[in-house]
Amino acid sequence: MPSEDMSKGKSWAEQVDEGDEGYVLTGVLPPNTEDYDEKKGLKKITEYKYNDEGKIVKTVKTYRIETIKVSKSIAHRKTWKKFGAAERDPPGPNPANTIISEEIFMQFVNTSEKQADEDDDPLGKLKNQKIVQCRICKGDHWTTKCPYKDTLAPLQEKLIEDQRKPEPPSTGAAAAASKTAGGKYVPPSLRDGGSKRQGESMSTQRKDEAATIRVTNLSEDTRESDLQELFRPFGPISRIYLAKDKVTGQSKGFAFINFHRREDAARAIQGVSGFGYDHLILNVEWAKPSGQQ
Amino acid sequence: MKPIMLHGHERSITQIKYNREGDLIFSCAKDSQPNVWYSLNGERLGTFNGHNGAVWCIDVNWDTTRVLTGSADNTCKLWDTETGVSLNSIATDTAVRSCGFSYSGNTIMLTTDKTMGFPCEIRIYDVRDGSQLESGEPSQRVALPTSDAKITSAIWGGLEDFILTGHENGEVCQFDVKTGEKIASEKGHNKQINDIQPSKDGNWFITASKDFTAKLFDMQTLEPLKTYRTERPVNSASISPLFDHVVVGGGQEAMNVTMTSTKIGKFDARFFHMVFEEEFGSIKGHFGPINSLSFHPDGKSYSSGGEDGYVRVHYFDQMYLDFRFEY
Repeated sequence: MPSEDMSKGKSWAEQVDEGDEGYVLTGVLPPNTEDYDEKKGLKKITEYKYNDEGKIVKTVKTYRIETIKVSKSIAHRKTWKKFGAAERDPPGPNPANTIISEEIFMQFVNTSEKQADEDDDPLGKLKNQKIVQCRICKGDHWTTKCPYKDTLAPLQEKLIEDQRKPEPPSTGAAAAASKTAGGKYVPPSLRDGGSKRQGESMSTQRKDEAATIRVTNLSEDTRESDLQELFRPFGPISRIYLAKDKVTGQSKGFAFINFHRREDAARAIQGVSGFGYDHLILNVEWAKPSGQQ
Repeated sequence: MKPIMLHGHERSITQIKYNREGDLIFSCAKDSQPNVWYSLNGERLGTFNGHNGAVWCIDVNWDTTRVLTGSADNTCKLWDTETGVSLNSIATDTAVRSCGFSYSGNTIMLTTDKTMGFPCEIRIYDVRDGSQLESGEPSQRVALPTSDAKITSAIWGGLEDFILTGHENGEVCQFDVKTGEKIASEKGHNKQINDIQPSKDGNWFITASKDFTAKLFDMQTLEPLKTYRTERPVNSASISPLFDHVVVGGGQEAMNVTMTSTKIGKFDARFFHMVFEEEFGSIKGHFGPINSLSFHPDGKSYSSGGEDGYVRVHYFDQMYLDFRFEY
């Protein structure tokens, strides 16, 4: 448990509990507070009010205060009193009128060669890999784009038909071959007589991920040492990865833990899944292999 | 970037404008309350209360002391920027479609609609002469013949010696301020001109038209220089004061919006290279067509006002500022 933090401040769950009891019973709104951190230039305004259901709503607004040098005339205009409909607005933007919207980006479009390069690259890779094979001339392009489509295809079909006529009883392989040539879809695993390289890519991946478990619904104050403490009893751990916020360094609420042995990992899942940890119920499961290959 | 959404209007935005130094944004909409905002943080400074109809146009003078608004309630009002007090109200026969301060701020012009048997008019007032504003009798009045198409957009041109007008039939014209005569005209577009904005130095101007294009013209000769093509009606276009860029906004016409999805509505602001006429980027965000666009005078941010009633203030990412068009 993250016991060190308990002394410093209460966890959010306790705050919520206390807040509900404390204020609903008395029915008095706590005073609005304003907190200004001069070093960081951050102003924090906390407001309390009742919502439509009669519950207390706490709003915390954080502003960044910047000092900008401007010309005298602009600075003078900044001191003007508000008038008209804005007359009674407090200093600073009124959230009813001024809304900061979501982050958007300018979309740059086509024009330059950049775009062309990006288009070319994947195509170039495809060419090298030769994933596309024409069924008519065996070149590396789509069958429909084959330059010999009109000349070769009818020829082949004719050949196949000719083949069929002399030996009608032959089924099996010959029939399959004729089908591929005829243009029907055959899954990659069944091409070239099938069973040649069935699912070979999957097994290598599995080995690395085999003893990795994913822990989710962790609380913000969780540290790597807490996790180590929690999972050590199940067996030797090779690696712990705790996702953290870059800025605040707080946990993002999930972690990956690599065990040396798969059995240990399985026991850890059994043991910790559903375990109550710092007011939250942990969810532990096998880590899914990452999407990329 | 994280755009700031300014929600001060109940109805669709008709025009937005920065002041000369770019610290304030003025917005007006089809509701009767023009707004002024600090561009830096989107804080609302105030509203100008007093109109009784849609406000079609707004302008601010050189030193940001006065604001001019033209409304469909047949008035054009002059306001004090600091207090939001209405100083003068000029009564017209029909709705005021466009208005503007001259560079010096000493004279103002306004144009009116051709409706109810009244002709489309250009009026020019001298702000220094209080009697003109009180009586509503302008120093120069140009009434267009009824056969002419009405003015849909107008700005001051040259060295305050002519008014540049865009018409419902796609024509752009110059009217002499002193004599009131039409100096020159050019059939630049096939359909209505929705917006005209000058370049920073006033040598060129860009028009936005319902015929799916925005065009760059020479201010003096009215020679069409460049054309920016899109697939939807263009409601507004602005020239970057910093780069050779042009931003164009529009989209499906408001009356047809309910019949299209936002995806194919093309409600994004689109950036073109001014010289090569080639589109290089776009910024999404509005849920309806963009009605008005404006670059910040320093070119590092821009704002757009849409049919959805929001003004969005965009501060460009470093990526845009570093972007160099390859040629």
